[in-house]
Amino acid sequence: MSVSKKIVLLGHFGVGKSSLLRRFVENTFSENYVVTIGVHIMKKEVIVSNQKVTLIIWDVEGTDDFTKYRPSYLMGASSFIYVFDASRTVTYNDLKYNLSHLKEKYPLVPVHIIGNKVDLVDKNEVLENLKQQDIQHSYLSSAKTGENVEQLFENVAAQLLENA
Amino acid sequence: MLDTLRESYFKKTTQFIVINREMIVVASDNCLFHMSTGMDITDFHPFFFSLSELFESEEGEAKQKFYCIQFDILGKTYYIDIETHKQNPTELVIVLNNLTDHYKSVHQIKQVRNESIIGFNITQELNKELEVQRGFKNKFLANVSHEIRTPLNSILGFVSVLENTDISKEQLDILSIIKTSSKNLVTILDDLMDISKIEAGKLEIKNRRFNFLEFIETLGKTYKIRAEDKRLELLIEINEKLPRFLVGDHLRINQIVVNLLENAIKYTHQGSISFKVYTNSVNARRIPVTFEVTDTGVGMPKDKLESIFDSFTQLEKKGLFGGSGLGLSIVKQLTHLLDSDLEVNSEEGVGTTFKFTIHMGVSHNQKKEPSKNVVIRHKTKGKGKKPRILLGEDIEVNQMLMMKLFTDHGGYSLDVAKDGERVLKFLDNYHYDLVIMDITMPRMDGLDTTVHIRNHPNKKIAKLPVIALTARSSEEHQQEAKEVGVNAYLTKPIDTDLLFSTVDKYLNRYKRKPKDNEDEEALS
Repeated sequence: MSVSKKIVLLGHFGVGKSSLLRRFVENTFSENYVVTIGVHIMKKEVIVSNQKVTLIIWDVEGTDDFTKYRPSYLMGASSFIYVFDASRTVTYNDLKYNLSHLKEKYPLVPVHIIGNKVDLVDKNEVLENLKQQDIQHSYLSSAKTGENVEQLFENVAAQLLENA
Repeated sequence: MLDTLRESYFKKTTQFIVINREMIVVASDNCLFHMSTGMDITDFHPFFFSLSELFESEEGEAKQKFYCIQFDILGKTYYIDIETHKQNPTELVIVLNNLTDHYKSVHQIKQVRNESIIGFNITQELNKELEVQRGFKNKFLANVSHEIRTPLNSILGFVSVLENTDISKEQLDILSIIKTSSKNLVTILDDLMDISKIEAGKLEIKNRRFNFLEFIETLGKTYKIRAEDKRLELLIEINEKLPRFLVGDHLRINQIVVNLLENAIKYTHQGSISFKVYTNSVNARRIPVTFEVTDTGVGMPKDKLESIFDSFTQLEKKGLFGGSGLGLSIVKQLTHLLDSDLEVNSEEGVGTTFKFTIHMGVSHNQKKEPSKNVVIRHKTKGKGKKPRILLGEDIEVNQMLMMKLFTDHGGYSLDVAKDGERVLKFLDNYHYDLVIMDITMPRMDGLDTTVHIRNHPNKKIAKLPVIALTARSSEEHQQEAKEVGVNAYLTKPIDTDLLFSTVDKYLNRYKRKPKDNEDEEALS
């Protein structure tokens, strides 16, 4: 029996949410930045522990102010993936504030924190920055190279099944 | 007519669909997309998965609006606003409103805005990284400068001591070579520090009134001798319109002109050097003053002219623009800081002309001030009590050098303490007239020691003149020293004349029981 789960990708604009999604669903990547407006939705089936899970992934338009997200986009989400750009500190300086807003509004929805574009930076430097800001990230990934993209979504799916 | 138009417009933009709890299409007017009755609507687009839970919700929550949902259908992108109305527990009406044209224009605006913000962020990150790198470089340079200055201090100091001993003419010549080479090394260090300051934006232009004509005449005299040493002729031309007193950064103008004249002498093997200073303006509050140095030296190929201003760049041709490769880079950057531009014209084998024009204020007061009181030499030799000086210095060779200098000079009594803590102990136990102190010392450095001196309960000790004698040459260090109450800041290698004139100046002031504000002025 297949279960379908809604996952929402959140974060500042230009952090690579759409690229992560395309890499995961279509295994493609483009250097060109194309703004997402509103929401772009894709689905992909994954098998976790012999069980089929259909991930319905909502790639929501990026913003630096999470209070501006339309509730209808986040409604019914089983998991949030908070993406930041590891090469731009401005995209994770306010991470704690945005997280607290999510936790307040959606206390039961787990949040996975992903630092994307690690191909552009010195990983140790990013890890040091995150440590200084006490940010517990799930993965450092690269939509460009595919690093940790598959693992990220599979891990999210596995956690969803565990919590189901 | 109106109804027909409305209906046709409505058909193009809106579609009504009815689905049941199993997400099966019960009815659709297919105005936008074809959805056959009986199909699973989630097969049409994954968005519709999210509507299943609306059947589970309460009546009041059944009406929902979803803005700007992107549909990619048959290679075409649509932006749709979607509204849901729960008719009854088993049926949901979905209204699709096609706003693609509207959202496409929004998309364009956001694309431009976001790209510009991201570009700005990236520039900021790069700048931050550059700042960090620059910081490392500047710190490294400051440390290297300090480490080199310390042994240089001993070399130059002991060379001076040796010069005054009974040595042969040949030995004196050798000493002169050691001295010149060491001084060149000091110049390179100063240049490195200046470049680093300019790059860090920390080099400030300080405009002050100064005797411009005297400054040019002195420069001319100095370089006439230097040129004659190489059997070159230095022709000096000073325009008569130039006022005597101008307002400008005397120090930096001097640095530029000295570099240009040094360069000209260095690379001219025969012929002459001309140094012209002129203005085309009279009776103005600010005038343009042009400096021009022309030589009949080796010249430069045209394609290399730009690169000679880069730091550490030397032309390949041996003996052309050798040295540290810093001089012209500094000149270029200093002229830029003075709102000017350095022009260069050169022809290989013929010669080179460097020219720059700076705007300087004309002082209202063109009268020469009466010469200031010359510091009275502290005359204690042979009679009376010698002034007692305490030296705080941890490096043995520097201690030896200072002892030798003070012994040779005579007229003072010098005690040495090897760190700041010992300086304070000596001050508590003996009477001193002045303290000379290294800044970098173990246990307690010179700055902390000065703070302790200034806060000493014994007023006499608290007011003792303190002269810093250090290899740390940056303005920040000088400023730091000034803030803790150091009276004068001398840098290593020691300039013996400056050292003793400063010592005498403060010994005389201290004797007069100075007021507090006098001390502050001393560092300027």
